[in-house]
Amino acid sequence: MNYPVMKTYIYLSLIPEGLVASHLSPFEFGNYLAVGTKKRSRGQAIFFEIERFDSDFFQWDEIEQHCVPHSDGRAKRSAYLGIYRVLEHVPLDALKSLYLVTDDGRVLELKASEFQPANFQQHHLYQELCPVTPRVVSVLDPSEFCKSITDRSKAVSVNKMAFCELTLNKLSRDPDSDDIGDLPYPNIGHLRDCLRELEDKSGKNNKQVDRGLNSEILYRTVKNGFFVGDCEGMKYYPMPSQEQLEREYYTWWRSALTTFGQ
Amino acid sequence: MDNLLFWIVPASSIIALFFAYYFYHQMMGESEGTDDMKRIAYHVRCGAIAYLKQQYKIVLCVFIVITALFAWLSYGLHVQNNWVWFAFLTGGFFSGLAGFFGMKTATAASSRAAYAANQSLDHGLRVAFRSGAVMGLVVVGLGLLDISLWFITLNYFVDSATESEKLILITTTMLTFGMGASLQALFARVGGGIFTKAADVGADLVGKVEAGIPEDDPRNPATIADNVGDNVGDVAGMGADLYESYCGSILATAALGAAAFANTDKQLEAVLAPMLIASVGTILSILGIFAVRVKEGAGMRQLMGALSKGVNISGVLIVVLSYFILNMLELPNALGIWGAIIVGLITGIFIGKATEYYTSHAYKPTQRIADQAKTGPATVIISGMGEGMNSVCAPVLAVVVGTILAYGFASGSWSFEASSMGMGLYGIGIAAVGMLSTLGITLATDAYGPIADNAGGNAEMSGLPPEVRRRTDALDALGNTTAATGKGFAIGSAALTALALLASYVEELKIGLHHQNQDSIIVAGQSIPLNQANLVDFMTAYQVHLMNPKVLLGVFIGAMMAFFFCGLTMNAVGRAAGKMVDEVRRQFKKMPGIMEGTEEPDYARCVQISTMAAQQEMLIPALIAVMTPVLIGLLLGVPGVMGLLAGALAAGFALAVFMANSGGAWDNAKKFIEEGHMGGKGSDAHKAAVIGDTVGDPFKDTSGPSLNILIKLMTMVSIVTAGVTISYSIL
Repeated sequence: MNYPVMKTYIYLSLIPEGLVASHLSPFEFGNYLAVGTKKRSRGQAIFFEIERFDSDFFQWDEIEQHCVPHSDGRAKRSAYLGIYRVLEHVPLDALKSLYLVTDDGRVLELKASEFQPANFQQHHLYQELCPVTPRVVSVLDPSEFCKSITDRSKAVSVNKMAFCELTLNKLSRDPDSDDIGDLPYPNIGHLRDCLRELEDKSGKNNKQVDRGLNSEILYRTVKNGFFVGDCEGMKYYPMPSQEQLEREYYTWWRSALTTFGQ
Repeated sequence: MDNLLFWIVPASSIIALFFAYYFYHQMMGESEGTDDMKRIAYHVRCGAIAYLKQQYKIVLCVFIVITALFAWLSYGLHVQNNWVWFAFLTGGFFSGLAGFFGMKTATAASSRAAYAANQSLDHGLRVAFRSGAVMGLVVVGLGLLDISLWFITLNYFVDSATESEKLILITTTMLTFGMGASLQALFARVGGGIFTKAADVGADLVGKVEAGIPEDDPRNPATIADNVGDNVGDVAGMGADLYESYCGSILATAALGAAAFANTDKQLEAVLAPMLIASVGTILSILGIFAVRVKEGAGMRQLMGALSKGVNISGVLIVVLSYFILNMLELPNALGIWGAIIVGLITGIFIGKATEYYTSHAYKPTQRIADQAKTGPATVIISGMGEGMNSVCAPVLAVVVGTILAYGFASGSWSFEASSMGMGLYGIGIAAVGMLSTLGITLATDAYGPIADNAGGNAEMSGLPPEVRRRTDALDALGNTTAATGKGFAIGSAALTALALLASYVEELKIGLHHQNQDSIIVAGQSIPLNQANLVDFMTAYQVHLMNPKVLLGVFIGAMMAFFFCGLTMNAVGRAAGKMVDEVRRQFKKMPGIMEGTEEPDYARCVQISTMAAQQEMLIPALIAVMTPVLIGLLLGVPGVMGLLAGALAAGFALAVFMANSGGAWDNAKKFIEEGHMGGKGSDAHKAAVIGDTVGDPFKDTSGPSLNILIKLMTMVSIVTAGVTISYSIL
């Protein structure tokens, strides 16, 4: 059968972890992930577009076998190449843009940039996205946290990690602050306890707040952006400011604000 | 006409209608914006007109049946005034006309206001507010026109032995056109309330919660119906409601004036006084409307200040000018009557402020509800109901104090003796007229709300730049506040008007007795001629006192009616919203292109569903409201009817305030959280507050506001069928 020639994209989905080949462009693919073909489902998605790279782990020839247009000429939406330990086998250099998809399929593209850590002491709240999904408070800045969590000499570590930093507002300096403002996290009391524990116990850098991601991420709570890295390096995908989101990406931003997440 | 001052009334009505046209013409001269804006506005306009057409068809059928019934009662059984059927029709016609013009203007104004906001905040405010003013001026203009035409016509045709009797006959006959206006208002309020909440709840439940798409997103099939609903409920419904209160208060006061000043040379002046105060108030409203403007970059406080400036200018000037009017009319105790007018105005302002206190998130009660959201939806509901119940105290006490003061000032006595009762009741009526005298501008601030809301929706759906959306958001936020205070004002004015109407009921009994060819009543074994019998004589003759079980039974049934009516309308919203949810789900399922934005939803179908649901659901509550006073009158007679009206007024007033304020407070508690408190958008507190807001939707926009009209309609039906009650009561 002669198929029309279509460009094939490769995506690394973070929630759930998976390597996917598709004929859909990133924005179409994001919409497809969120609301499906029949547009009856809904759900947040976060994924990278990646360049093909040399790998013994992935069977690239499956792309040619499975990612082919349908017999009626329609594009192939998704052909899964892997669903387990995918992130750790994708080199950082292969990662292109990161795409954040809202519940109803609006897609925002983030490009990688240089990370400049803050030069003052504060607590951080990290949401790990892949391969595991606990929520953690830490005294380490994102690059230090990334190194710490991917340090394979430690018992609790992974080979590579994708995560984002969530805002703590005044709690980042003072866990006892009464003013939680617009922090939407459930069980703030527990979050305070975890932050206090970091202060009380010298030497403890990280403390788990939640064992897993119970719901969707509220994009408005992402403080500075998304990070992916290992002990050798880290890539940073900065989140636009709320003013910029409202001004330049209003449709996405409005949709993101509608999400009932955590 | 014996007193040339009367001609101020038709003249001011024509001036009001001229300025309504002027503002309409000015608004239509504004650009409607981009093609997208035009398309969205077109959908809303078509939906609104389709709804009105359907509603008017059903209302027409009901009016034909009731008119035929009245004609039979008048010409067949001779128990009723022969003008009633015609008065009923004109009242309904003018009320419907006011709603139609208001809605036509509002739906044409939203896109223009949004586009005007593109230029400046002041321009956006002016277009939205002056479009709202069209509604305000049409209502007062048509009201005064209707009153003028009736007064001239009846003055020409009615013949009576004395001038005094003639005026009593004219004013009591004119009062009956209020029933037409009331019935039209009930259909507009109940139908509009069901429509708007079915669309709103349907749009939110499927659009936001299931499909995850934001509010006012053009992909949501119910979003246009939601926008149509804002106009149907808050423009046509509110307009018809206040048209009835406005005319009802003027006519009831005129009837009370004719009775209180019977057989004196100041009777005509007493009848003209409420009409003249309302007329001058109309001109002052126009002045106030021109005073509303703001500078670019104005915040909420400045926007509110701009509207308040217009309202305050009109209010202060009516206080000053009404003093001169009363002195010009040379009414006895003019100073006392003037005091009653001021009391009415202050009562209205106080109720508005109390409503704002209990529903705005700038104040503690709403913030307390938001705080309770941290512990979940149950505590939000409990707290909202608690605050709503507490909020009943301020307006009820305001009406109590206002009524006592108006009564005392006008009667010139604080002893509440039978001899001064007529003047005292006239004072209560004139206080209601004082409260509503500047309705032209107060209704403009109410009707402005849905226009600003729709302008925001239009800006959102057509993707206008952020600075324009910020402006329309500011205008919308202001509209939310004015809509809440407007509801409080409508409820308060309805309570005061109903009190005046209750007193007028007794005057209608006299006319009913005339039709039975009775010229006296028996009081304590003595025959008293009708033209000499006072209110206390009638109460004694009909045994209207609390020891009479018929009165108490009536009170119970009246109180029950308020709750039963609320139950019917609340359930109606639930059923109608269910149909909307099914339709929106169906469209998302059958038309996948909607979510991609490649296929336009079938907006018209959602409008049709809401329309049909509203029409079906409004009929039974409306018929129950009409039938109950008639049946109670037939069963329990005059004492039962008086008890029914008192029970419905007391329970209905309190329940209406509770429902409107609880709903408003839940809404604003949610907004307070969305502004970044208690965890902000998406937090558990927010989810709880959204549930509270959804529960509150039918409270504040369907059942609560409909109760005003239930109270007035039952009083009006009792007034119109007073002759039937007297002739055919069983017990």
